Amino acid sequence: MFLFPALQVSPATGTVGFGSGLHGWAFTLKQFAEMYSSKLGIDQETLMKKLWGDSFYNVETKKWDNTDAGGGKRAFCQFILDPVLKVLSTTMEGTKEDAHQLIEKMGVKLTGDDKDLIGKPLMKVAMRKWLPAGDAMLQMITMYLPSPVTSQKYRIEFLYEGPNDDEIAVSMKSCNPKGPVMMYVSKMVPTSDKGRFYAFGRVFSGTIATGQKCRIMGPNYVPGKKEDLYEESVQRTVSLMGHYFEPIEDVPCGNIVGLVGVDQYLVKTGTITTFKDAHIMKMMKFSVSPIVSVAVECKNPSDLPKLVEGLKILAKSDPMVQCCIEESGEHIIAGAGELHLEICLKDLEEDHASIPLKKSDPVVSYRETVAENSDRTCSSKSPNKHNRLFMTASPMPETLPDVIEMGEIYPKQDAEERASLLVEEFGFDINDARKIWCFGPDGAGANMLVDVARDVECLSEIKDSVVAGFQWATKKGVLCEENMRGVRFNIHDVTFHADAIHRGGSQIIPTTRRCLYACQLTAHPRLMEPVYLVEMQCPTTAFEGIRDVLNWRRGKIEEKEQLTSILQVASGFLPVNESFGFTFAVRAATGGRAFPQCVFDHWQILDNDPLVPATASGVVVGQIRKRKGLQEEVPAINNFLDKL
Amino acid sequence: MPADQEKFYQREVILADRDLVEQGAEEILENAQVADVALLVVGDPFGATTHTDFILRATERNIPYKVIHNASIMNAIGCCGLQLYNFGETVSIVFWTDNWRPESFYDKIAANRERQMHTLCLLDIKVKEQSIENLLRGKKVYEPPRYMTVNQAAQQLLEIIENRRSKDQSLALTENTLCVGVARVGADDQKIEAATLSAMANVDLGGPLHSLIIVGKVHPLEIDMLKLFTKNKEDIAKYAEEA
Repeated sequence: MFLFPALQVSPATGTVGFGSGLHGWAFTLKQFAEMYSSKLGIDQETLMKKLWGDSFYNVETKKWDNTDAGGGKRAFCQFILDPVLKVLSTTMEGTKEDAHQLIEKMGVKLTGDDKDLIGKPLMKVAMRKWLPAGDAMLQMITMYLPSPVTSQKYRIEFLYEGPNDDEIAVSMKSCNPKGPVMMYVSKMVPTSDKGRFYAFGRVFSGTIATGQKCRIMGPNYVPGKKEDLYEESVQRTVSLMGHYFEPIEDVPCGNIVGLVGVDQYLVKTGTITTFKDAHIMKMMKFSVSPIVSVAVECKNPSDLPKLVEGLKILAKSDPMVQCCIEESGEHIIAGAGELHLEICLKDLEEDHASIPLKKSDPVVSYRETVAENSDRTCSSKSPNKHNRLFMTASPMPETLPDVIEMGEIYPKQDAEERASLLVEEFGFDINDARKIWCFGPDGAGANMLVDVARDVECLSEIKDSVVAGFQWATKKGVLCEENMRGVRFNIHDVTFHADAIHRGGSQIIPTTRRCLYACQLTAHPRLMEPVYLVEMQCPTTAFEGIRDVLNWRRGKIEEKEQLTSILQVASGFLPVNESFGFTFAVRAATGGRAFPQCVFDHWQILDNDPLVPATASGVVVGQIRKRKGLQEEVPAINNFLDKL
Repeated sequence: MPADQEKFYQREVILADRDLVEQGAEEILENAQVADVALLVVGDPFGATTHTDFILRATERNIPYKVIHNASIMNAIGCCGLQLYNFGETVSIVFWTDNWRPESFYDKIAANRERQMHTLCLLDIKVKEQSIENLLRGKKVYEPPRYMTVNQAAQQLLEIIENRRSKDQSLALTENTLCVGVARVGADDQKIEAATLSAMANVDLGGPLHSLIIVGKVHPLEIDMLKLFTKNKEDIAKYAEEA
């Protein structure tokens, strides 16, 4: 951010465009300044500033002013809005002759069939020819976005996971077309060939060419290992131009390209390189996480292969959806919300798999956390009784889980840098902050394992096993096997058998999990539920209806703002679990005058004891356990805690 | 084999795998309240794999117990001619995996060598082990049984030596350190072979179970014994001196 002292956009500087994506037209003030500059005798740059804000022009006196006291009209309205509105209204409502006359005056020529159009289609054509969206966008891109040669110098350190000074990083920073190839695939674009995709992305270094042999690395690739790594040739390189694909021989760095023949090696995104020691490019972060899921199965069992194929295509074509197979054999699709899932299921049923499906009711993900410190140090013994672990759990400082999820504190971070952040921002003990073994689940979640034991023998050797147990436990918490969130586990002491053979993974991994479960149970376990931020614009008269619907569903209005005398915008929070059918309910309550928009906002602790079956959390836990085929009661603590 | 044993004892014999011994201990002890339970083990009950936890739990429940001792590799290893008095701490050498390569046993061997003692290395056996994936999924699917051979053990030790050398550490053992490999000790087809560590990486002692001894300082009588078990008598004498 320090690279852009003025990270502010303004129409007056040409960094804001106006337009309609649907109708395909757009403009910036710069384009109108060009039109009027010679006529008004003012240079373009000065004129752009005059066309925005409190700047008024009196047509009769031909005088500019800062107020409308002199009878002037706001310049933006005078020179831009009025002409645009005039074109809109004349083409939509005026006679064909008037419209054609006006269109000609604007310097636009209608050709062939366009001359016969009337009403909305005529308006679209006229606007698109007068103010083409493409031109406005291209102009803004060329004028204000830094070129790759400029930007890769400072962007690479945020984009590349490897060291900042290795060969490939240096080559990317200099945007060197002769260097080794490095490309990030950000998206899969469907081809006309069903089930196949173009791998779409940007080349950061070198020149990628048809027939080139490359290393294709998925998000789980670790340098030096073979996981998530394929060595394959690029079958073809194509240039993507809107709806068209143009074969192209090679593409040098700084450009965007589509590759044919690598789609089957990547799920959604990945890194493609010719440099053997390259690390991967950082994964894109989404501001939303999949929190609502459904189970699908095919109505006709023999369709199963089609369903599996269809799910693969769905996973590729939607950047956020997650498809997985539960242990029960169920196929689960997870998405951002009810609507997103509805779209995914429709695509799956009609396009990707083309088979009739059975769908379960949508299910919300929860998180398991703890509210207090463990009331004792929990100890567990390994099956052979020769290894003992002593640990506790405690809640993380309130905002730390968010910070971890946003990626400001992350597993691969420099340990000292992370430690000083934790000490300064979150009040960690410096020695603890330096001894974070790992994050989890999946090595990156908002739970951490901290070695608060000083001076423990052989710890490095059993570390991997303890970490594996920690990943396991944080992925499937003790309450109902949901992910944990915001829990800090502390290792206080360990005793291990003197001999490596008696402290292998099969002894340590289950023991770590049992010990962590005991810690969780002794630290006031709590459930967290996802909450949407709801925003809606509605007439003032409909507000009551919205408030009632929200209140009825455990939601609440946080803010409301009066936009005009009759229109207001309200925002509030709504538990995701209560959101099914919400849109429908709001429409019903307001006579269709309000349209809510929901985005995932945060996790909220359910403040009652999930271990008591009668509480709200207890009911949820019971339902989830039943759904997952677990025994209905949360296992008692003595399953996990061993006395010495 | 349980069938043979059943015939011999004229009793039903339940095969107690690791799961039963470790996780089903309560059940075994429960039954011991009302009937006599004999837990049959390989080697000595208090040998390499300890059953002390059973004793502790039985005592807690006032269940009387009696131990019948047995021969174990811990004493039978005397067959190779090295004196039992001169052995240091026993270690196990574990199978390495792609991402779990402990070296702690090397340090113990090194410590024994500094005190001029022999080291008995017990070699890993993996019977009814779950892979980590299956363990995490809670699936009772077991890997095929594996038994480490002396050449695999020697190979891992040579890798560690290479590692330490590249870190410029002083080495307590080298490629030329004397070792003794033994197989199926006590059986009719037992095999003993004395060789240097690098040569040991290539010997074939046949089927399981194997053990390896890293030799410390040797007494002349021990040298004479080791010469019985090698084709290369000069080497033994030469490298024994160097130790």
